[in-house]
Amino acid sequence: MAARDYRGSPVTTAKRLGLAGVSLISLGASAAYFATMMAMRNRIEAETNLNYVVLGAVAALTAVVLLVFHRTMSRSIESIGRQLGDMTKSGQMGLVMPEGGDELTPITQPLNEFLTATKSQVDRLRSENRELQIQSRIAEAEKHHIEAIIFSISDAVIVTNRFDELVIANEAAEKLLGFKLDRSLHRNIDGVISDSTLVRLIRETRSHGRSQIRKVMEETIEQKGLSRTFSITLSCVMTPAEEVSGVVAVLHDVTREKEISRMKTDFVSNVSHELKTPLASIKAYVEMLVDGEADDPATQREFYEIIASEADRLERLIENILNISRIESGVVKVVREAVSPTVVVKEVLDVAAPQARLKNIALVELLAPVYYQVEADRDMLYQAVMNLVSNAVKYTPDGGTVKVTVSVDERRDVAVCQVADTGVGIPADELPHIFDKFYRVRANSKQGKGTGLGLTLAKHIIETVHDGKLMVTSEQGKGSTFSFELPVMA
Amino acid sequence: MSKKVLVVDDEAHILHVVSMKLKNAGYEVLTAMDGEEALDIWPSENPDLLITDFQMPLMTGLELCARLRADGCRTPIIMLTARGFDLEADEMAQAGISSVLAKPFSPRELLGKVDSLLADPAKAGGKR
Repeated sequence: MAARDYRGSPVTTAKRLGLAGVSLISLGASAAYFATMMAMRNRIEAETNLNYVVLGAVAALTAVVLLVFHRTMSRSIESIGRQLGDMTKSGQMGLVMPEGGDELTPITQPLNEFLTATKSQVDRLRSENRELQIQSRIAEAEKHHIEAIIFSISDAVIVTNRFDELVIANEAAEKLLGFKLDRSLHRNIDGVISDSTLVRLIRETRSHGRSQIRKVMEETIEQKGLSRTFSITLSCVMTPAEEVSGVVAVLHDVTREKEISRMKTDFVSNVSHELKTPLASIKAYVEMLVDGEADDPATQREFYEIIASEADRLERLIENILNISRIESGVVKVVREAVSPTVVVKEVLDVAAPQARLKNIALVELLAPVYYQVEADRDMLYQAVMNLVSNAVKYTPDGGTVKVTVSVDERRDVAVCQVADTGVGIPADELPHIFDKFYRVRANSKQGKGTGLGLTLAKHIIETVHDGKLMVTSEQGKGSTFSFELPVMA
Repeated sequence: MSKKVLVVDDEAHILHVVSMKLKNAGYEVLTAMDGEEALDIWPSENPDLLITDFQMPLMTGLELCARLRADGCRTPIIMLTARGFDLEADEMAQAGISSVLAKPFSPRELLGKVDSLLADPAKAGGKR
């Protein structure tokens, strides 16, 4: 509402009243004077009526003046009342504008001040409320976000409250412990979680009450009937007042880790045993020599040769173990170049020939033209082929045959190398294990002692380093065929 | 009469060394490459002492001992093993092994044990 100049208005009402009063008094005074004059002239009778008329007129005028005054006031008050009513209805706060006279200013001015103050307070509260709503929405969104994160964690997460009721659980927990969150929410974990040890752990953690973190190794049966091992971490959720409001349990699947750890321990134990065996021979023979148990030069020579060959065996063993370890841990240095498999196989056959001749074994070769090349580490490829060929010769009895082929499949652009023997073969149940470290086929132990690592190393070289595949077929008593493929270079 | 010792090991060199050492010390030595062979010749030869490796294909040294003890024989047994830490004390006592020698072993030391076990009958048959 536009500001009005109130300076002129208060005078208007007083002016009116003054004017009215003056008129009335003048009129009354005139009438009284006239009446007195008449009375002094002894015209009392006729003038009694005049007195009544004058009285009546004065009374009427007075009434009119009062009426007018009253109406003005009423209208002003009504106007103010209407304005306040409009304000209430519309909800908009404003100022009250008095109409006409300003006899109500003592009220309207403080009222308007009050209305102004109230309006600014309401505005402030409204804006605070808007802020709080925004914050509440943000908090709600963050809560959803965190719940989504918890849901997607692959470890099973379970949150309980101080009454051991389920509050939060993610999909991994549902799958592992066999429940559905929407049906189990706010139920006691007793009836929800199938593993009683976990229930007990959660209860204990809650009752211990401090914000401690506990780790426990635990076994849980998964639904498929497989037993898996979990590392469970439990901690208390604390209120700011240091009271326990719940427990968080996280289950991390450590089955694979434990398995790997066990394999490592087994490997170390195996290596130790394998290395001690040739070493034991060396030490024993040396001690015999020192103690003079070999009195003639022939025996002494025999001992020296045995010591030498056992030392070689030990060296080969260590070399193989190191190579395999290096390949497994990825630190091996690989020199990739264009290598002709035919050339490599020829070299291997040259070296293997004397041993084959000793056992009267025929070495047959069927090799692709030299110009076919693969991208490979020459030394490693040589080692792999050598291991296959020397195995073939070792495990083939006298008079047998070892056939080595290098062929090229032009359609698939691969070079295939195959080593086939007519040897003792491998039993079907042991076939899956022959590439294991230190594995030796029991039935064939009479054929010769090996490190048990030859095939392991070959497999690592072909598969891990060169991305190829080493395959075997075998029939006990008939023979074995090992083969691998490598992509041909254009 | 010289005492008879049976040595069982799948390593030819070990058999060679041990037999030579014991033979030079005056013992009669028989050898076997595995447990089956040992059990085959046991009834006919009846050795006074058994020396066996632990880790062997087809039948471990422990199994061999258990079989012999089950048959009621009380011959002293010395076990050679590269896996000393794998053997539990009660396992050995149960199988009636008199003494254990870790590989690499000293032939001298082995001879010493053989001498002491065969010289003192009280040390035989199932006591550590």
